[in-house]
Amino acid sequence: MQLDRRRFLRGSGAFAGASAFSAPFVLGQGSPKVVVIGGGAAGATVAKYLAKDGKGAIDVTLVEPLKQYQTCFLSNPYLGDLRQYETLLHTYDKLASQYGIKVVHQMASSIDRDKRLVKLADGSTLSYDRLVAAPGIDLKYSSVPGYSEAAAEQMPHGWKPGAQTKLLKARLDAVPDGGLIVMLAPPNPFRCPPGPYERVSMMARTLKATGRTKCKIIILDPKDKFSKQGVFQQGWEKYYPGMIEWLTPTIYTEISSVDPATNTVVTGFETYKAALVNVIPAQSAHKIMLDAGLNNETGYCPIDAFTMKSKMDGNVHVIGDACIPGDMPKSAFAANSQAKVAAMSIRADLIGAQAFPARFNNICWSMLETDDCIKVGGRYEPTAEKISEVEGFVSQPDDTAAIRKQNEQELLGWYNGITADMFA
Amino acid sequence: MMRGVEYLKLSLLRRVSFAMSACVLVGPACVLAACLASSPSAVARDLAYGEYLASECVTCHQVSGASKGVPSIIGWPEDQFVAALSSYKRKERDNQIMQAIAARLSDDEMKALAAFFASFGPKSTTKE
Repeated sequence: MQLDRRRFLRGSGAFAGASAFSAPFVLGQGSPKVVVIGGGAAGATVAKYLAKDGKGAIDVTLVEPLKQYQTCFLSNPYLGDLRQYETLLHTYDKLASQYGIKVVHQMASSIDRDKRLVKLADGSTLSYDRLVAAPGIDLKYSSVPGYSEAAAEQMPHGWKPGAQTKLLKARLDAVPDGGLIVMLAPPNPFRCPPGPYERVSMMARTLKATGRTKCKIIILDPKDKFSKQGVFQQGWEKYYPGMIEWLTPTIYTEISSVDPATNTVVTGFETYKAALVNVIPAQSAHKIMLDAGLNNETGYCPIDAFTMKSKMDGNVHVIGDACIPGDMPKSAFAANSQAKVAAMSIRADLIGAQAFPARFNNICWSMLETDDCIKVGGRYEPTAEKISEVEGFVSQPDDTAAIRKQNEQELLGWYNGITADMFA
Repeated sequence: MMRGVEYLKLSLLRRVSFAMSACVLVGPACVLAACLASSPSAVARDLAYGEYLASECVTCHQVSGASKGVPSIIGWPEDQFVAALSSYKRKERDNQIMQAIAARLSDDEMKALAAFFASFGPKSTTKE
């Protein structure tokens, strides 16, 4: 039986040593170190499960710049006046106090894969035996001519949480009756595939509820189809007739430019002078991943579907929106599911815990109107090629009102469940 | 979670010890077979597997028993828990999500989950 240093230092008189049996790390080396970059649905979950199931045998550090995390999920219902902003906020306090995770509130600035170091914004470094990279996405501002990070103050993207979410809501509330809203939807692959379409539903809800039914929302979409399209479009006709128009490049040809100073969008078809322009640009894995060479030509990071290990580096796992998730979408549910597979794989590698076949799930709910929520979901298994869908389901146009209402209840229950799973 | 694991461990150990004591009556060969089938490492594996399987459930079903929107699954009698999952698997019970989840659970996996969640307090009185 091997006494590890952590247990020894803790001075446990009642040492029974179950977890020390298989630990390959010997006295003097200390506990294996895992650094997690990013405290979202992927990162917070993997940190918690490594600490919880590792029972102190793994030294877990979570690097996340924000002290207060705002979920992207349910931010659309906030735009739709169905949710208070404060209910989207969570802290990392319990991850530190209950699970012993070292939470470092800094931005990770770079990864040195050769030396197995993460460099932080203040210049200090963290060494790791295993890195879990869950930094999410970056927006490619230059994918839209005339758009930039500075322009996002005038034409909010609202695709990263926090100030942008609130700015978009404030701008929505300021749109006069009869005003035009233009959304530039992103090309695939992007974070939250149903997100843009739930967003216009919720924008229209707020406009309608405040008597601004002469407003119009035009979606300029580079894609020729989108998630849950049939039931979204049916819902728009039912609840917001004449208020939402979805255009593809066969109509508008191309986005020639946007001008934040005048809130103008110029397409090959028409020039729109809008009261609010919501630009959701193209996306990639976060820059820290690209700088570390963990991506491929798609701009995202290829992984081994059995372990969520990077195909570029066996000491790194990539989970959440930064990875290439095969048939899974880039969603919080998927990220949380991938985190559990990664945690199991890492515990097996570092402390000899048992590994079981990876299982993945996803469900994405979207609100159309109060009491009417649609969903898409599936279960997935790893293959040599990718995470593959085994079975899927999607809401149907002829769903009963009771089913749609139940979906809404599931969404609210899931929100409480996943945030407890991440943070409590 | 600790409480659930400890409970599951006890529950599985009880089953192993029952199997072994029953087998002693019919001869040494059977004792050996029972030991092979339920060795300590197999029990540990079941425990860890039950906990891993449960991690799939707790994305929506909270171990606190909170049941707003999604029913509580803690503290159920184990046979009822398995019966509910089985009826989802046969698609007799209606919910797309639960049908998809149950579709890939074996009987043993359902039992492991039932034992795990049974340990977390009394059954919720909230209607499903």
